[in-house]
Amino acid sequence: MYEEENEEAGFLRPLINAYSTLPLHGITAIPGKISGALMVVDAIQDAVPLIHGPIGCAFQRKINPFKPYMPFYETPCTDMNDLDVVYGGEDKLSQGIKETYEKYHPNLIVVITTCASDLIGDDFKAVIDETKANGDVGCEVVYTTGDFTAKSKPVGYQDALYAITDQMLCNGVKEEGMDKNEGSVNIVTFPIHGAGLKVEEMASVLNEMGIGINKVCFDHTTVKDLYELPKAELTITDYPMAWTKLMKKRMGIDYYATVRLEAYRDSKDAELLSPYGIEGSEMVFMEIAKRMNKEGEAEEVIDRRKREAIERLYEVRKGLEGKKVAYTGMGGLHSLEVMLLQDMGMKASVIIYNTRGLEQLLSKDAIREVLDISLEWARKYGSDPEILVNPNTEEAIKAMKRTGTDLAVLSSLNNAVHEINKEGIRTFNPLDFMLHHQRIGFECPIELAFQLNDALKKPERRDPLLCMLEYDNCRTNLIPHWAKLADIFMTLREGAIGDTDKATYLK
Amino acid sequence: MRYKQKMNNVEIKMREVLTYDPTQDCKLVGAARALGGIKDAVTIVHARPGCHCGVLLLRALGSNQNDIRIVGSGFRAQDMVYGAEGRLAAAIRLSYKNFKPGLIAVLNCSAPAIMGDDVEGVVRSMKEEIPAEILSLSTGGYEDPAWIGYEETLTELTRFMDNHDKKQRDSVNIIGFKTDEIKAYSDISEIERMLNSQGITVNAVLTNSSFEELKKALRASLNIVLGGDGLESAKMMQDKFDMPYVLTPYPFGLNNSMEFLECVTKGLNKEVNQEFITTERDRIKERIERIFLFLQGIYDISVAVIGDGARAFDLAKFLSDELCLNVKVLAITSRNLISQDKAKDNGDYFETILIEPDRFEMNEEIKSKGVEMIFGSSIEKKLAYELGAPLVRIFYPVLDEVSVSDTPYAGFKGTIQLIENIINSVIHNYAEI
Repeated sequence: MYEEENEEAGFLRPLINAYSTLPLHGITAIPGKISGALMVVDAIQDAVPLIHGPIGCAFQRKINPFKPYMPFYETPCTDMNDLDVVYGGEDKLSQGIKETYEKYHPNLIVVITTCASDLIGDDFKAVIDETKANGDVGCEVVYTTGDFTAKSKPVGYQDALYAITDQMLCNGVKEEGMDKNEGSVNIVTFPIHGAGLKVEEMASVLNEMGIGINKVCFDHTTVKDLYELPKAELTITDYPMAWTKLMKKRMGIDYYATVRLEAYRDSKDAELLSPYGIEGSEMVFMEIAKRMNKEGEAEEVIDRRKREAIERLYEVRKGLEGKKVAYTGMGGLHSLEVMLLQDMGMKASVIIYNTRGLEQLLSKDAIREVLDISLEWARKYGSDPEILVNPNTEEAIKAMKRTGTDLAVLSSLNNAVHEINKEGIRTFNPLDFMLHHQRIGFECPIELAFQLNDALKKPERRDPLLCMLEYDNCRTNLIPHWAKLADIFMTLREGAIGDTDKATYLK
Repeated sequence: MRYKQKMNNVEIKMREVLTYDPTQDCKLVGAARALGGIKDAVTIVHARPGCHCGVLLLRALGSNQNDIRIVGSGFRAQDMVYGAEGRLAAAIRLSYKNFKPGLIAVLNCSAPAIMGDDVEGVVRSMKEEIPAEILSLSTGGYEDPAWIGYEETLTELTRFMDNHDKKQRDSVNIIGFKTDEIKAYSDISEIERMLNSQGITVNAVLTNSSFEELKKALRASLNIVLGGDGLESAKMMQDKFDMPYVLTPYPFGLNNSMEFLECVTKGLNKEVNQEFITTERDRIKERIERIFLFLQGIYDISVAVIGDGARAFDLAKFLSDELCLNVKVLAITSRNLISQDKAKDNGDYFETILIEPDRFEMNEEIKSKGVEMIFGSSIEKKLAYELGAPLVRIFYPVLDEVSVSDTPYAGFKGTIQLIENIINSVIHNYAEI
């Protein structure tokens, strides 16, 4: 059995999984900017939020939509009332900053504005400047409105990090005056994106290549750590971040997002979307080395590490090679399907495309592009899968049986996994893997191989109680009631509704 | 937090600083909670996505997951300029099409309220098209706290009540019941069982009834106001329809259960069925005999009770009078119309009372009092962890515990269940030594 080094395995993992099927994000609702901003503040140990708004914006947001099992316990607010909405909330904000400092003694207060304070036009910057100038607070104070990053998603998260960079890290600091940690990088991951801090192997590979690690965020990160971010030469993030671009512009610190959405847009090279697995990790390490002028040293290290990993992987994946696998087509994004084909040597038997939800976010062409990428990947690795677009459970099961599928890599978030199990087809939960295990490095595919082998040996689920329920024919994991909520949400979120003359709806 | 009053050896403390880490939600949530109990109502949250998501999340994690009827209006950033009346109309239309509700309630939240969306106008214009009642409520977060939203919503519902139905003898309505409390459904079953034992039937529950049943609320002979929540609507029904009401405790424990029945029977001019009470007392006695050593063991431990005004006083009284625990701190997270009086008049079962405290200050107070056990909500998880104290989740919101078994906390049956949970929480509380 593979020895997991994952501390979450025994305790947090089942807890996280218990909440992972909540059909919320983009399915029936969207968390607001306050929740995203609170994720940032919560990740900085010595920071405290101050919500400039009514009590509901503070109390309700204690429930963390990204981690419902872990509330935001500290959410002080300025208790904005109807008088403040008329006369302005600036005095309350100033007083709130002072009191927050006196109570919590933080090193950073992040003022999070709300609908009410945004709409009435409080001058947040002026209040903060004046309060600080009066000497009433002995810590940094920044504010986030959700408007700094042109609605980059997740808005609150992007915006709060941008605000910290803009108003604190790059505020008045000259690039030439900054101490440098030569030849070092920052590795910034965020729990909002899954496996987060599993960067030990990445750090070890980079070290061996002669690249130092300046900071790993967010891991017990303090305000002092944030101030030291600009000492690095390069900041590595998982997804493109507005704050890293700002740091490059202001302080010359280069950035690199491992999921290279921007580069993909220009080149249409799908490999740029797949930073995981053996090849994806090699690509990432080489790219970092190139940016750090360490290509020579890197080549030897990467070759050796890769060779060693492949040797072990080939041993472990023996039971997997040639096995037929059904999975959801993601166009390579998140890379699991690429790892199944490329690293595990499995064959795609059925690819399921769930385009519901995507239809509201992407154009038809973009959806087609995602589907094409998935199919191309499968063909590149010698598979000729059946393609199902928005199938119901019965159609999916029939296709899996017809093709002799050995394993269905499908999440309960989008699929009636219990029905598939009942029909004797074993399943593997990709969401669990993405949340807890997926990371850049050569060890990750080995871990995946162990887990897939385990999945193939799982006992049959003979009579899942979940099969007693009636499910929606289209949204196959949802009971009809939730499917209606999802349908209403999707319809109302459609761009067309907002852009159409409102009178149309009153007809 | 400063001492405000000292009466009968009880300290009453209220928040004096401006900054507030709140223990209560805003008007929107109070209204949504009231509406959530109307079995065929859809609630439309006309707000930015965060408010809709928050209300939906509270409901999905704290109530029946197969009965969520909360819809957002799809309000987007650009609507802050141009308004979202069109979206609201579409939301009403879609809500009707999908759920065929008896009632559609539009909750107008901070952003559209400040912008001045003509929600009333939209509602009026939709009434011709939609064959369901539609009402709108102003629930800007800055307006008032949750309990006011709750009171206003129940009061608004009285507007739909039909006064032409014939009164039914010994029939009651229950006011102040919330379906998103932990054990809500088993609690209401137990309350109904207790009432039935006295020859009393339940006509409607505000709110755990269909809209049609609520419209027929005036058939009942008496309104029961549980713990004081919804009192405004009971007063309104008394003034407008001559419908009497009684204020009862939330029936936590033996004494509160008996007092509950005494209040109701008195309100109906009936004698209490003492035989039933004797049987229930005997049953409780038989059960506690089985675990009396543990009851002796937890005797006198120091506890904090952190909950809403409608239920926390009554739980504290049960813990103090019957289980003989020391209620060091009673924190009323959210008031109602009778909380202030209760705090002043009945202070012999707690040492310190905090009224709608700032969470930071409340935690400091509890930490300073040697508290060994907490009765609160999921939000007290961290405090309990820091104190190494067991947490009994009994007050809203409970988001990390499910309750689908028929094991109430209320009433005679609930007394046993509460004792079982309390003892188990203490003896489960594991700490590596």
